Amino acid sequence: MSDVPWRLAARSLKRDLRSADVRALFVALVLAVAASTMIAFFLDRLERGLERQAGQMLGGDLVLEQRSPFSDELRNTLQAAGFALSDQVDLVSMISLGERFQPASLKAVDDAYPHYGVSYVDVGNGAEPFERGPLAGEAWVDPRLAQLIEIELGDRVQVGQTELTVSGIVEREADQSGGFGNFNPRLMLNTADLEATGLVQEGSRVEFELLAAGPPQALDQVQGLLAELRRAGVDVRDVRVDRPQLGNALQRADRYLGLAGLAAVLLAGVAVAMSARRYVERHLDTAALLRCFGASQQQLMVLFSLQLIGLALVASVIGALLGLAGQAILLRLLVSFLPMTLPPPGVTPLWLGILTALAVLVGFAGPTLLRIKRVSALKVLRRELDPLPPSAWLVAGVAASVFGGLLWLYSGSLPLAVALLLSGGVLLTVLWGVSALLLNGILHGVKKLAGVGEWSQALRLGARQLARRRQAGVGQLLAFSVTFFAMAMIVLVRGDLLSTWQSQLPDDTPNYFAINIQPAERDPFEQAVAPRVDTQSTLYPMVRGRITAINDQAPMEAVPEDARGDGSLRRELNLTWQAELPEGNQVVAGEWFTRQQSVPAEPQGWLNAVDATPQPDIVPISMEEELASRLGLSLNDTLTFSIGGDELTTRITSLRSLNWDSFKPNFFVIFPPGVLEQFGHSYITAFHLPDEEQGLIRQLVSDFPGVSLLNVDAILGQVRDVLAQVTRAIELVLMLVLLAGISVLYAALTASQPIRAHESGLLRVFGAGNRMISRIQGAEYALLGFTSGLMGAALAEVATAALYIYWLDLTPRLHITLWLALPFGGALLIGIIGHTLSRGLRRQAPAASLGLLGEA
Amino acid sequence: MSRPVLQAEKLTKTVTSGERKLAILNQLSLSVAAGESVAILGKSGAGKSTLLGLLAGLDTPSDGELRLFGQPLSRLDEDGRAALRAGRVGFVFQNFQLLPTLSALENVLLPLELSPRAGEDHTAQAWLDKVGLGERVDHLPKQLSGGEQQRVAIARAFVTDPELVFADEPTGNLDPDTGAQIIDLLFTLNREAGTTLILVTHDHALARRCDRCLRLDQGQLLPLDPNTVGGGQ
Ligand SMILES: Nc1ncnc2c1ncn2[C@@H]1O[C@H](COP(=O)(O)OP(=O)(O)OP(=O)(O)O)[C@@H](O)[C@H]1O
Ligand SMILES: [Mg+2]
Repeated sequence: MSDVPWRLAARSLKRDLRSADVRALFVALVLAVAASTMIAFFLDRLERGLERQAGQMLGGDLVLEQRSPFSDELRNTLQAAGFALSDQVDLVSMISLGERFQPASLKAVDDAYPHYGVSYVDVGNGAEPFERGPLAGEAWVDPRLAQLIEIELGDRVQVGQTELTVSGIVEREADQSGGFGNFNPRLMLNTADLEATGLVQEGSRVEFELLAAGPPQALDQVQGLLAELRRAGVDVRDVRVDRPQLGNALQRADRYLGLAGLAAVLLAGVAVAMSARRYVERHLDTAALLRCFGASQQQLMVLFSLQLIGLALVASVIGALLGLAGQAILLRLLVSFLPMTLPPPGVTPLWLGILTALAVLVGFAGPTLLRIKRVSALKVLRRELDPLPPSAWLVAGVAASVFGGLLWLYSGSLPLAVALLLSGGVLLTVLWGVSALLLNGILHGVKKLAGVGEWSQALRLGARQLARRRQAGVGQLLAFSVTFFAMAMIVLVRGDLLSTWQSQLPDDTPNYFAINIQPAERDPFEQAVAPRVDTQSTLYPMVRGRITAINDQAPMEAVPEDARGDGSLRRELNLTWQAELPEGNQVVAGEWFTRQQSVPAEPQGWLNAVDATPQPDIVPISMEEELASRLGLSLNDTLTFSIGGDELTTRITSLRSLNWDSFKPNFFVIFPPGVLEQFGHSYITAFHLPDEEQGLIRQLVSDFPGVSLLNVDAILGQVRDVLAQVTRAIELVLMLVLLAGISVLYAALTASQPIRAHESGLLRVFGAGNRMISRIQGAEYALLGFTSGLMGAALAEVATAALYIYWLDLTPRLHITLWLALPFGGALLIGIIGHTLSRGLRRQAPAASLGLLGEA
Repeated sequence: MSRPVLQAEKLTKTVTSGERKLAILNQLSLSVAAGESVAILGKSGAGKSTLLGLLAGLDTPSDGELRLFGQPLSRLDEDGRAALRAGRVGFVFQNFQLLPTLSALENVLLPLELSPRAGEDHTAQAWLDKVGLGERVDHLPKQLSGGEQQRVAIARAFVTDPELVFADEPTGNLDPDTGAQIIDLLFTLNREAGTTLILVTHDHALARRCDRCLRLDQGQLLPLDPNTVGGGQ
């Protein structure tokens, strides 16, 4: 006997493709793979796209910054690792045109600039894309500088000891390296001219930047070197760590997509389990016969496993192709936000897809399949000798472990996977009990239904049919509940996610920042702006200060080694004072300033600080938590600031989290009122100017020439675009999940078809008419749908609340419509699918459905 | 006489239905030699099908010893017994046991695929020709009449050239003419290939052509003279 019955397996599979359960199994597997690969492909490319975009904003995949030129040794090492390098020098210097002087933020770039992206520069024909910086002897200025000292294209401006020809007005720089230079207007020049300016000298405040572009492997390779550089006080920015905050929104989207993918896999799993059950039942006779013909248990297993694995392989290839197409569609939706050339999709998602299909098959169909193995040859003689179905615990246990494994694989977090699984297990157990009770209750209620009308009769009969199959009924109920639950959850989360995004960037999100408002201008500015804008943030006073000591040590020695080059230690920080916690900020440790702190009884008297051990003369401050953790700071640490030549010692009395996506002024360090007022300060504010009020800008520019106005409409628009496109991507994925859900319903109903066929045949023999039969079945389906909808709603409500709190960072709320929509929608949906599926049956003559003719 | 293909000693089969113990077979002994043809007769419900199942190793006796091809079945597990059957034992079941989703040809191919001769599809075709269904190979069982289904079952039993064939009423559903053809076929094989035949039948024409006739009664096998079978009934 040949050991592996290849031919038989291939033939049987070919034949089986005709049967509904195998088709349902197939469709479910295809969907599982399509959903998971599509999402994996998409996230993979999105991730790489975002990294590329972050690289563009940063100016490279790796950016080093220090006060002195970089050594050739370092350059060689980086180049050897596979990086392309570009040099940049940043400094602030006075520039002049004739009698007009203006401090400007200078950015000298070399010929390799920029690594990624293009700058939009007006060289006389309007803004055009340029894949380079200014040439030697040229300067590019931003519109603000041009306006401030009235520069025209072709003018020669004095920069240090040399003159440069202004050849372009920079509308948008390719990158955001070099910072905003204290909000000074920008002048870009070529590094070749730097020496002639004479500005780079010992002691002058010059930042040297080395921008490196290279593949992730190159970044991995130099991690050791980077740690060393950080310890040496070099500011190291790594694209994978210091990515700009498009932030929370995308991260949530990312998680949502992952969740949706898992929901689709779970749904497909349920469908696989249902159809596998029917598949096995259908093949028990075959198995018994094969036993008679001498097949061993192992051969049977091999035979059926081969068939199913063959099915899974074909399904995963088709699924993966669909996934590939799907991600292409998703990318299309996102094309305007992603960089033009995305790396091609990798093969990892493909393997992941095949793995998913096999895992789903093994997990959800495996234990059921084992039943075939236990078939006895004697069944051929004695039909009733069916092997017992595997225990529900075994089936659920194996499926849960496999699903847990997938969860782990996809989320990368074992604790999360275990937690989700455990809570899912508990929920399911409770659900099993509840559903049995609920079913009993409903059936009982229906039985009591008095009326003699046709419908109540149908309902009674339908309920009786359902009651007769209590065990199978509870199984189906459970499958439907899980299906409704997964579908509802994905819909709910989507809705809440989108509305959160909407509320995060409402229409009146500030689109202008005004900085450098002098104290004397504060009130007139406020009066000019307030009546014409929709929203305006507080006017925050702003004082610039440098950290000179931490806990009485030099900052470089006090902070963790890898934070030595941190920008916050190298540059001046923007400090403000506030009596109240600014909107959008949350105190996460310590306490916000008390009254005594903010209104000192006597100058410099801080005896009444919150802390139990008062330390006189130390000013309390509130610090942003991420900066604090970067610098290794916690509550009660002291910081000394140098502000306008004076030293001021402070103590951290609270840590704040804040929303960087809010488009409002945010501060790392906030003082209580009464301390910083003595120093020179200006004000900053943000406001939303409606389109029809754009004339205000002209007026502000002429009335407050010293105030800088920054328009962030472009950035805001970009963020909104991203959100809109991600929303569409989410919708597409949502459709896929719903499709998977329907495939489950289809599979489940297909699986129960034969019993129903038999029943309706009997009913017909006993004289029930077509209408009656269809009503009885409709009633049965509707009851099933209603009950499972109710349970699905309960499950979804609990699960979404947990998800919001622990994973998506949203506020949970009660979804009342869900409690109405799911039961009735469920009754309708299952009623319709069931009705359609069984239409064929009802037309059959009883002889056919009862198997009176030929082999039954 | 050659070595027995099958040897049963004191075979007992009792079943419990509800509270009552029912002895279907009671200390039954039987030995069948290679190439022999044996007919088993008996009333409906006498336990003929049960006996056949036991002899083929599909079921296990409650007591007694059974040797198939010289192997004591009690020492084999179900897989061992299956391996013993593979390719060497053929069956014609009382209720045919054709798989409803398989065509006639595919049903006949089934045991072949499990044997070392997998792939010899023409053999299956040849057998269907022999039983007169050469034109119906693609038909599903439900498209065939009872007698036609029975013939497919016979083709399936013989397709692997087994040494031993069990047939549970192989002519039960056939008209006398077709029945006679099938009987001829069975005995031609028995003669030419030396196939051992163990048949359960009510058909006296069939029983008379067997080397030996046995009657199952009260759980015991009693010899009958083939020539007297059916004579007086
Ligand atoms: N596991 C069992 N439990 C209870 N009764 C059994 C069992 N197996 C067989 N029987 C009974 O044993 C008797 C013999 O059955 P068997 O099928 O062997 O009869 P048979 O001689 O083949 O009858 P027929 O000629 O009608 O096919 C029957 O009464 C049957 O109901
Ligand atoms: Mg019988």
